[in-house]
Amino acid sequence: MNIDKTAVSTSNLFRVYQINEVNIEALKDVNLKVGKGEFVAISGPSGAGKTTLLNIIGGIDRPSSGKVVVFGHDLDVEDEDFLADFRCNNVGFVFQSYNLVSTLTVAENVAFPMEWARKPDDHIENRVVELLRTVNLEQRSDHFPHQLSGGEQQRVAFARALANDPPLFLVDEPTGNLDIKTGLKVVELLRKLKDSGKTIIVVTHDERIIQSADRKMYLEDGKLESLDE
Amino acid sequence: MSETSFPINDLLRRKLQTGLTIASLTLCVTLTVYLLLFAENVGIEISQVAEGRLTAGFSMVFSQFLFFVGMLIVVTGAVVVSFMVFVMMSQRAKDIGLMRATGCPNDLIFGYFMTELLIIAFVSCSLGVIVGILADYASVSLSNLYGFRILHEPINFWLVLLVFVLFFALTIIFGVKPIMDATKVEPARAISPTYHFGLSKEPGFKVISKSSLTFKIALRSLFRRKSATIRIFLCLAIVFTLITVAIAGGIIADQTTRSWVEKAVGKDIVLIAHEDVGSQYKSLLLRFHEVGESSQFNYTKQEYLVSESLLNQLKSMSSLHIDTRLVLEAHVKEVPGEIIDSETGAVSSVGDQREGESLIVGVEPEKVLGEWFVEGDFLEENKEWGVVVGDSLAQKMFSAPLSQSILFYGRIFYISGVCLDPINNGNVTYMSLQVLQKAVGLLKPNVVMVRVDVANREEILNEIEIIVEHDNPKFAVCELNEALEENLSFLGHVWSVIMFLPLFSLIAASLCLVGYVVLAIAEQRQELGVLRALGIKSKTIAKIVSEQSSAILLSSFGVGVPIGIILTLLILVPEPIVTTYTVVEIAGWLLIALLVVFVSSLYPTVKFARKPILEIMNQP
Repeated sequence: MNIDKTAVSTSNLFRVYQINEVNIEALKDVNLKVGKGEFVAISGPSGAGKTTLLNIIGGIDRPSSGKVVVFGHDLDVEDEDFLADFRCNNVGFVFQSYNLVSTLTVAENVAFPMEWARKPDDHIENRVVELLRTVNLEQRSDHFPHQLSGGEQQRVAFARALANDPPLFLVDEPTGNLDIKTGLKVVELLRKLKDSGKTIIVVTHDERIIQSADRKMYLEDGKLESLDE
Repeated sequence: MSETSFPINDLLRRKLQTGLTIASLTLCVTLTVYLLLFAENVGIEISQVAEGRLTAGFSMVFSQFLFFVGMLIVVTGAVVVSFMVFVMMSQRAKDIGLMRATGCPNDLIFGYFMTELLIIAFVSCSLGVIVGILADYASVSLSNLYGFRILHEPINFWLVLLVFVLFFALTIIFGVKPIMDATKVEPARAISPTYHFGLSKEPGFKVISKSSLTFKIALRSLFRRKSATIRIFLCLAIVFTLITVAIAGGIIADQTTRSWVEKAVGKDIVLIAHEDVGSQYKSLLLRFHEVGESSQFNYTKQEYLVSESLLNQLKSMSSLHIDTRLVLEAHVKEVPGEIIDSETGAVSSVGDQREGESLIVGVEPEKVLGEWFVEGDFLEENKEWGVVVGDSLAQKMFSAPLSQSILFYGRIFYISGVCLDPINNGNVTYMSLQVLQKAVGLLKPNVVMVRVDVANREEILNEIEIIVEHDNPKFAVCELNEALEENLSFLGHVWSVIMFLPLFSLIAASLCLVGYVVLAIAEQRQELGVLRALGIKSKTIAKIVSEQSSAILLSSFGVGVPIGIILTLLILVPEPIVTTYTVVEIAGWLLIALLVVFVSSLYPTVKFARKPILEIMNQP
């Protein structure tokens, strides 16, 4: 039996933005293959197209041309409703600017992806407690995002990404806005995820994270290169 | 950047918001200008009764109605202006904070945004005045096209200027405060995403259902924008009060006034009289809505009197209800009366001995086919010296008609009641036929009225025509339904024009709600984008936003409609006629109004929900 061990595959991926009649190529012929359970770190200068690549792999954005297949689904041909369900069940996003829902408490922010995935109530309750314990925020469960520090918000974002236990994690600059101590906690969390067999793609400049990765990639001017060769 | 180029560019770059603000303010001004000019053109001065078309009693109902609607429109205008200017400035709070953070002096910031406000106020008020005048001109022209005679009055410049100044001032007054507030906010607070959140620690976490979650997000967002939410609630509640007064009041008043006319004239009535008297009687009925000089007509000619033989033949016809009348015209004089002060018990005299002409109609009280809306008592057989005067006569010639008397043919008659009657435009006096006959020495009536029911109508009419033709070829049988219909359709036309007012209000309300939804979306844009990025479908996003607008809409509807109904029933229409059909009709129209406002608020919601996620999240 032939079991597909590829989690993410992009081929000849291009993404072009048109701003005021000027074409800006964010991604140029990106070809990437990430195996299941693999931890890939992507670094590169600001504006190189790193976040764009994560967005396309996560089904938030669509490529201008080329193919993107995640867990066997050809994302560039699927409709918006499919992509919504796909993101909810398969992808754990951690955005650079945390992006918590300001009108929901910490616990509700963590719970809502599970509510959306129609998980049973007792499962949600237990999972929220477990995740907040993992990120050391049990005491802040009833607070709103604006009542937390940047590091705390980042940890809530991680807990939310873990909620549905997705097989793929897309993490954008997780330590960029954090102090050294809090950054270390994030690095630890990523290692734990790697150990549990999750597929992780991290966009980062943090050497600690880059060193923890199975593969190191470099994206510059829309072109992706491997740093391992 | 100069003090004028910044505001102009800023307004042009926020096209939707600028357009919405200008459209809402323009509508408020348009509505007020149109209402005032329309009232003048139809001959009903707001707050005062005018002579001409419509009798005094009917004019009173219309003018009271228009006055009330006018008041509500001005209040609505003020609230709409306040809301839209607030929304406009709220969306600039962050920019103001950023400008202050970068060191821009307060007076310069104030200057920039004040210039924006002045541009908006001037453009909206000018457009509103122009559109209001055009709308009035169009509705008068349209009315005349449909056969009504409404004169194009010259535009009352001072009235229009007053509206312009009033709304310009309101815009500036309400707009300055948010600018002042925004310039006072600390820059750090203004640019902070937590500014205006108004949320605090929640008591414990509980798993909630998917639908409750969307509702929770929707509700919390409403509280987060507390100030805007209260304003839009007030705005919509007043608009719904106005719409209810206009729709419910309009329908009830329309039906009530139509019923007054219909009952006073009588339905399916046939008039038998000399052909001259017949056509004169018809023109007297039409004087309700037509401006016309009263022609000298001698009702007392012998040839106009109905012969005994004709009367007997008509009476011999079974199933005919016969109402004989003697119609004349006389010079009447007011006789002073006395009124007693209910508190002090002091007696004082009222009346100025005014004189004038009145139609005098002698009737047999127990046989009359008409049924009038009477203040006081109608004629009673045993009180033969009592008369009932029409509403216009009572208004024109008497101070306290029910405490006074009237003098004609050298005799004094006490006034037992005042009735609403379209004939001779309410300039009429009803009295006992016998007494009138004795007073003028004419022992025969000059008009016979019969009610011919729909069943066998043609057959009976033929029979009557044969009898009349045989008795006196100069006599004619005239159906009064046509004149009645003309009067009713005039009333209906006036009310239908008034019903345009809620349409304008409805558009203003829709624009306000659209403005609010745009504000709500702008404030929640990033987090709604995040929700979508995390797997929530676009239709759920649309649901969250529409739940917010529904919550506001339903609560303001729930407050505005009952107030409107109470105002209508208690203040606007005396003895209203409310049937089950009326209730269903009003409910239907109000639900349509609710639906229209709701559907219009969906436009920005759906447009937003369809946007690509990245566009939503990355929009500045």
